[in-house]
Amino acid sequence: MESVNPVKNSDKVLDQSQRKGLSNGVNPYYSIPIKIKEIIPETSNITTFILDGMPIKFEAGQFAELTVPGVGEAPFTPSSSPYAKNMEFTIMQVGRVTTALFNLKEGDLVGVRGPFGKPYPLKDFKGKEIYIVGGGVGFAPLRSLFLALLHNIKDYKKIYIRYGARTPDDIVYRRLIPDWQKINGVDIALTVDVGDESWKETVGVVTVLLEQIPVNVKSSPTIVCGPPIMLKFATKRLIEAGFTHSNIYLSMESNMSCGFGKCNHCRLGEIYVCKDGPVLTWENVKDIEEPFI
Amino acid sequence: MKLYLLPSDNIIHFITKLAEDGPVFYPVFEDDKVHLNKFDKDKKFELNFEKIRTVETIKHFLFPSRDVVAKFPKDAQKKTERQYLVGVKNCDLRGIDVYDKVFLDWEPIDFGYKQRRENTIIISADCPEPEDCCFCNLVGLNPFCESISDINFTQVSSGLLFEAITKKGDEIINKMEDLFTGASKEVQQQRDKIRKHAINKLNKINKKSFKKDLPKRVEKADKQKMHNARKDCVECHACLHACPTCYCFLLSDYKRGKNFERVRTWDACYYAAYARVGGGANPRSKLDERFWNRFQCKFNYFNKYEGIYACSGCGRCYRGCSGKIDIREILWNL
Ligand SMILES: Cc1cc2nc3c(=O)[nH]c(=O)nc-3n(C[C@H](O)[C@H](O)[C@H](O)COP(=O)(O)OP(=O)(O)OC[C@H]3O[C@@H](n4cnc5c(N)ncnc54)[C@H](O)[C@@H]3O)c2cc1C
Ligand code: SF4
Ligand code: SF4
Ligand code: FES
Repeated sequence: MESVNPVKNSDKVLDQSQRKGLSNGVNPYYSIPIKIKEIIPETSNITTFILDGMPIKFEAGQFAELTVPGVGEAPFTPSSSPYAKNMEFTIMQVGRVTTALFNLKEGDLVGVRGPFGKPYPLKDFKGKEIYIVGGGVGFAPLRSLFLALLHNIKDYKKIYIRYGARTPDDIVYRRLIPDWQKINGVDIALTVDVGDESWKETVGVVTVLLEQIPVNVKSSPTIVCGPPIMLKFATKRLIEAGFTHSNIYLSMESNMSCGFGKCNHCRLGEIYVCKDGPVLTWENVKDIEEPFI
Repeated sequence: MKLYLLPSDNIIHFITKLAEDGPVFYPVFEDDKVHLNKFDKDKKFELNFEKIRTVETIKHFLFPSRDVVAKFPKDAQKKTERQYLVGVKNCDLRGIDVYDKVFLDWEPIDFGYKQRRENTIIISADCPEPEDCCFCNLVGLNPFCESISDINFTQVSSGLLFEAITKKGDEIINKMEDLFTGASKEVQQQRDKIRKHAINKLNKINKKSFKKDLPKRVEKADKQKMHNARKDCVECHACLHACPTCYCFLLSDYKRGKNFERVRTWDACYYAAYARVGGGANPRSKLDERFWNRFQCKFNYFNKYEGIYACSGCGRCYRGCSGKIDIREILWNL
C-alpha cells in the first residue's frame, strides 16, 4: 500500500517531559471561589486586588485564570510572593473581563484556576546577578519574581530592576518602590516617557536605561515583561549587549482560554505559551516569524 | 485477534441486544448521504455499512460541540451513560486517536472526555468503496481498522465478519456468543479481497502520495502559493467545524441565578478574533495567516507532537467547502 507514514520529527518542539501540567486530580476547568479582601488602585487604570487567602499554590512565573463570576476569565500572573499569605493580582483595565473586575467591591467573590505554566528557573539564578526589565503593568509578574528572590536574597549576587512607565503617575507600586530601593543588594532605576516638575530620574523609553548594563552579560539572566513593543526593543538591546539567548526570559503575550495546553488559543508557532511558557527564552522563540504581537 | 461471523439474519438481533444496554448510533442513508442516527427498534433497520463515513463526525459523542465543564461556586459533574457507535470508519478513528492524545495523554486529564471515552463502545466497519473525497491512505491510514475501536467488522456476503480489538470488544462478542458462528477460510479470503479492492480504489482516486517530508514543506510553504490556494475561501468555517480531528475550544461563563456554569464550545482558528489579545492586538488578523495556521497545526505541529497528522483524510472539509477547496491539491502542490 502506498501510504506515507509521517515520521516523528521532534527536533524543535519543546521536550514533552517539560509539558508537565497539573495532575492533582481536580477538575482543571473548575475555579476555586475566594473573596476579594482589599482593592488598591495603583494608577489611573491599574489596580491591585488582594484576595482573602491563597487559593492555589504557585511558583514565581506561573499564572492563573481569574474569573469574574458569570462574566468570564482572563489569565494573570500573581503579583504577590509565592510565600505570602494572600494572593494578589495587579491588573490593567483593558476590556470586557478586566472592566467587570474593576466594578467589583471588597468582599465580592472571584474564582481562581491554576497554577499554569512553568515557573522561573530560580535554581539556575543562584549566585548570579539578575537583571529585571519591566514596562507598564509588566511590573506585576516581575514583582512576584522580585519578592521570591528577596525571600532568599543571599542566594543571589545582586538584583537589578530597570522599569519604565508613560508618566510618573503611571508607575505601578510607587508606594512600595522607596522601601525596595533601601534593600542591600537591590538596585532600581526608573524612567518615564514624559516627566513632570517633580520627576528627578531618567526621562525616555525603557531602553534608555539599558544603555549601560552593569552586570556580567555572559552569565546573568535577564527577565523582561511589558507591552509587546517594549518587549521587542528591549530584547533587541539585550541581545546586542551580549546576553546569552537562553538567559533572556520573556513573558509572551497571547490569547488564552484553557490555560493547560489543549484549546490551542495561545499557540505561538508550535509552542503552547500556556504550558511551555508563559515565560519563554529568546532561544525558544527566535525562529518564530513575529514572536511579539 | 479471533474472527467471528455474525450471519445476516442475526445482525438485527445483535444491534437490538446492544440497544438494551444503551443508545446505539449507526449509519442511515438519507438524501444521497449517510447520516449517523439513533437506532430505534420500532423503525426499519437498514444495512449501510458499505458506504463511506457519515456526514456527521463521531467527535460529538466524546467531545460535544457544547458542554458544561464546571460549575461555580460548587462543582458538579453529570454522569455519562454507556453508548454504542456502530459502523464507524477508520478516518473517524484518527480523530479519536488525536483526542485521546490531547485529552488523556497530555496532562491534565480531561475527566469528562475520559468518562465518555470509557462509556462509548466503538464498533468500526471496513470501507469497501472509498469515494472521490477520500484520502485516508495519504495520511497513513488504511480503509479498515486494526486499533482504537473495540470491535471491527467487514461486511461479507453471508453477514458481518467480526474481529475483537480490545478486551471490552471481546467481552461483548462473548456475551452474545450464540449469535455468532466461526469464520470460514472463504469468508476470511473474501475480507482480504474486499480490503485489497478498497486500497486499489484509493490509489486510483489519489494518484500521488504526499511527499515524505510534507511537514517540512508545510513549514516552509510559499506564502504566495498558500494565498492563491485560499482565494476561493469565503470564511464560512465549514471545514473546521466538520473536521473530525480539530480540537480547538473556547471556554465561556454563563450566569445561572446566583451561580454560573463554565461552557466549553468548539472553536476554530479561522475565526478572526481567535487569537486576539486584550487591548485588540491580533497576531493573525489576516485570513492568509489563519489559513496558514490550519496547515501548520495539522501537518506540521501535530506531527511534531505525536508523529501523526491531525488529519484523517475523510474529505469532509472538501465536501463541505463553499469554495470547493481541496486540501489534497494544496498539499500535493507544496
Ligand atoms: C500569562 C499571562 C499573564 C498576564 N498577566 C497579567 C497581569 O499580571 N496583569 C495584567 O493587567 N494583565 C496580564 N495579562 C494580560 C491579560 O490577560 C489581558 O489584559 C486580559 O486577558 C484582558 O481581558 P479583557 O477581557 O479585559 O480584554 P478584552 O480585550 O475584552 O478581551 C480579551 C479576550 O477576549 C476576547 N474578545 C474580546 N472582544 C472580542 C470580540 N469582539 N470578539 C471575540 N473575542 C473577543 C479576546 O479574544 C480575548 O480572549 C496577562 C496575560 C497572560 C497571557
Ligand atoms: S482536514 Fe479535512 S480531510 Fe482532514 S480530517 Fe479534517 S475534514 Fe477530514
Ligand atoms: S488550530 Fe485550527 S486546524 Fe488546528 S485544531 Fe484548531 S481549528 Fe483545527
Ligand atoms: S491557553 Fe489553551 S492551549 Fe494554551
